Amino acid sequence: MARVSIDPVTRIEGHLRIDVEVDGGTVQKAWASCTMWRGIETILLGRDPREGWVFAQRFCGVCTTVHAMASVRAVEDALQLDIPANAQYIRNLILIGHALHDHIVHFYHLSSLDWVDITTIPKADPARAASIADGVSTWPGNSRRDLEEVQNKVKGLLGSGQLGIFSHGYWGHPAMRLSPEMNLILFAHYLQAIEFQRKSCQVVAILGGKTPHIQNLAVGGVMNAINLNSLATMNMDRLGTLQSLLQELVPFVQQAYFVDACLLAAGYPEWFRYGRGVASYLAVPDLPVDAKATQFDLPGGVIMDGNLGSVRPIQNWRDEGIREAVAEDLTHAWYVGEGAQQPWKGKTDPDYTDFRENGKYTWVKAPRYNGHPMQVGPLANVLVGYESGHALTRKWTDDALQSVASGHGPKLRPEDLQSTMGRYLARAIRSAMLSDLALQHLQLLTANILKGDDTTYNPPQFPEHQIEGVGLHEAPRGSLSHWVVIDKGAFSNYQAVVPTTWNASPRDQKGVPGPYESSLLANPVADSAKPLEVLRTVHSFDPCMACACHTLDASGREIAQVKVL
Amino acid sequence: MNTDARGHARISVVGIGNVLLGDDGFGPLAVEMFRCEYECGSNVEILDLGTPGLDLAPYLYGQDLVVIADAVHAEEKPGTLCIYCEADLLAHRAQLRLTAHHPAVQESLAHLRLAGHAPSELIIIGIVPESCDFGNGFSPSVLGASFIAADHIARLLVERGAGCWRRRTPIEPNFWWLTPEPAGAGRHGFRSRLSIPGKNP
Repeated sequence: MARVSIDPVTRIEGHLRIDVEVDGGTVQKAWASCTMWRGIETILLGRDPREGWVFAQRFCGVCTTVHAMASVRAVEDALQLDIPANAQYIRNLILIGHALHDHIVHFYHLSSLDWVDITTIPKADPARAASIADGVSTWPGNSRRDLEEVQNKVKGLLGSGQLGIFSHGYWGHPAMRLSPEMNLILFAHYLQAIEFQRKSCQVVAILGGKTPHIQNLAVGGVMNAINLNSLATMNMDRLGTLQSLLQELVPFVQQAYFVDACLLAAGYPEWFRYGRGVASYLAVPDLPVDAKATQFDLPGGVIMDGNLGSVRPIQNWRDEGIREAVAEDLTHAWYVGEGAQQPWKGKTDPDYTDFRENGKYTWVKAPRYNGHPMQVGPLANVLVGYESGHALTRKWTDDALQSVASGHGPKLRPEDLQSTMGRYLARAIRSAMLSDLALQHLQLLTANILKGDDTTYNPPQFPEHQIEGVGLHEAPRGSLSHWVVIDKGAFSNYQAVVPTTWNASPRDQKGVPGPYESSLLANPVADSAKPLEVLRTVHSFDPCMACACHTLDASGREIAQVKVL
Repeated sequence: MNTDARGHARISVVGIGNVLLGDDGFGPLAVEMFRCEYECGSNVEILDLGTPGLDLAPYLYGQDLVVIADAVHAEEKPGTLCIYCEADLLAHRAQLRLTAHHPAVQESLAHLRLAGHAPSELIIIGIVPESCDFGNGFSPSVLGASFIAADHIARLLVERGAGCWRRRTPIEPNFWWLTPEPAGAGRHGFRSRLSIPGKNP
């Protein structure tokens, strides 16, 4: 038996450590540990709730907007304050812009090289690669010339012997199985993705005033002035710029990213058998289509124990179930105490003990829903939508399953998405849906403005007595909730239950492991010194420890240390 | 050469770092000092990017010159300013300790270079931090160095023919994150060790 420890797992913001016990070529036990202290909420105590979002968006360097959004929604929930329809649409467009950007970067830059062996690209036949790509996609960046150019760049890179950031891939690993042509197609889009990463940032910047830290939010709405006759405000010109940016972005998402995810899935059918893990799912409703947030374009719901047929819908953000069900267990986390705390009563007092596999071993608390660990993320989003009959989810999911099958891949059912590769595919499905919804919400905004509605803000009034609120957002990595207690117009408690906390959760008081930990069980490991397969499953969740906190010496440890003990 | 509508080079002055983590916020501090002390043409963009990871790439995309202010790890006294060019960044790779946000800078640049959109020139103005503790504000040495950093950024721009002038009356800097400790804050309450002066000491 081999004990393997990978630290850190994420390529960029690395504070995630995974320990696995490997026996007979498969994982028998796993532990997920976050190695940096999360306690950033404490800076919000005593602050004016109207400015909380400005600080909250510095929780994470990458997902800035999602924390800003959850923060204002939490305060609005506590005040029971509705925001104008324009504000909903503007916020939704920002969230979609951010999510598309995040999903594209995850697929190509943060995880595709777990599957794509760039060292085979010189052997590819660009003409054949172009014809494969043209057979499944209308994307214009698949021409033979484009692919040849990328191949030459890779040849130059490999020939120089200076692989730089690409020197740490598990090249030549037996689990790398795509043809040189497929590797070429995917890597060509890896490079093209940079252009679209930029365009989605521009969408956020136009609406948010600035990226990566948007400036247009307010408790009660947004601060975008709308006046069709003014050059300095939201006018037809700016709406037109948004429209053309989205029209460039949507084809990349639907014809490059979505198609690539289907090709990848067809090329690695066995990865639909690994990585299932926790089969209880939580997704919160998002993208409200009315001022009062009664209807949503992304449905929310809860699925327990893999029972996909019975979704408990979460109709709206006032849902009582979620308020009562969520608690964070401290038993195995480096905080004072044991058992579970409801977030409004949650405390974050550190109690570091070193890594003790039967004791405390992580800075991540263990969120539980009625005592159960839950998986969050695009997979939860897609399963909840599909099983509750949501038309857009059904359309893109059916399309994906069919594309995988027609690409000589396995014949899949929606339940097969509960796997490592399923999480990749679900993220691509969600991106395709969001790209459709981006155009729809821009139309909703435009139509509402043309109707003569230019309101964007309802001023908040703070009572003298204590109030509580929760701000929900279905973020790129899954359900995010900010829980606030406001007393005499100031925060007296603030707890953020972030998606990676749900997924990277440690064991709880009953010893039940979290989603990362259980998804690794029975995962194959061909070579304990090169645990590529473990990385594939962990990366399928899009781990981001950055909201746990940022570090001062990530640099020295960018490259994972793999220790076989 | 990528130029704006009037034929000027496209320049970004970028601060990287988490303002909530003491001296780690040097990047945002230095670019704010620069903005308040100097005036630039519209071809110069001044940005506080926080800790963007790979999301740095869109802000470097196709620029002629990018100046990045950041906290760095170097075997020097805290508060020492260290200036690096892109070649240094690549050469120091083996030592793995250049800036706290090095992986992102390195990876974003490599992506852009392969894709053909890398900035023509990149300069890093680094500070050796004294303390990057949560919510502790800036150390005196780092705060002092930020004025020198601002002047240095201006010199770099002027040397390259970019329009950049010292303001007659400096603007009051906006260090929103150094607002006083609110009443009722816990023991990790947010405070700055120094009051920030509005102009050069």
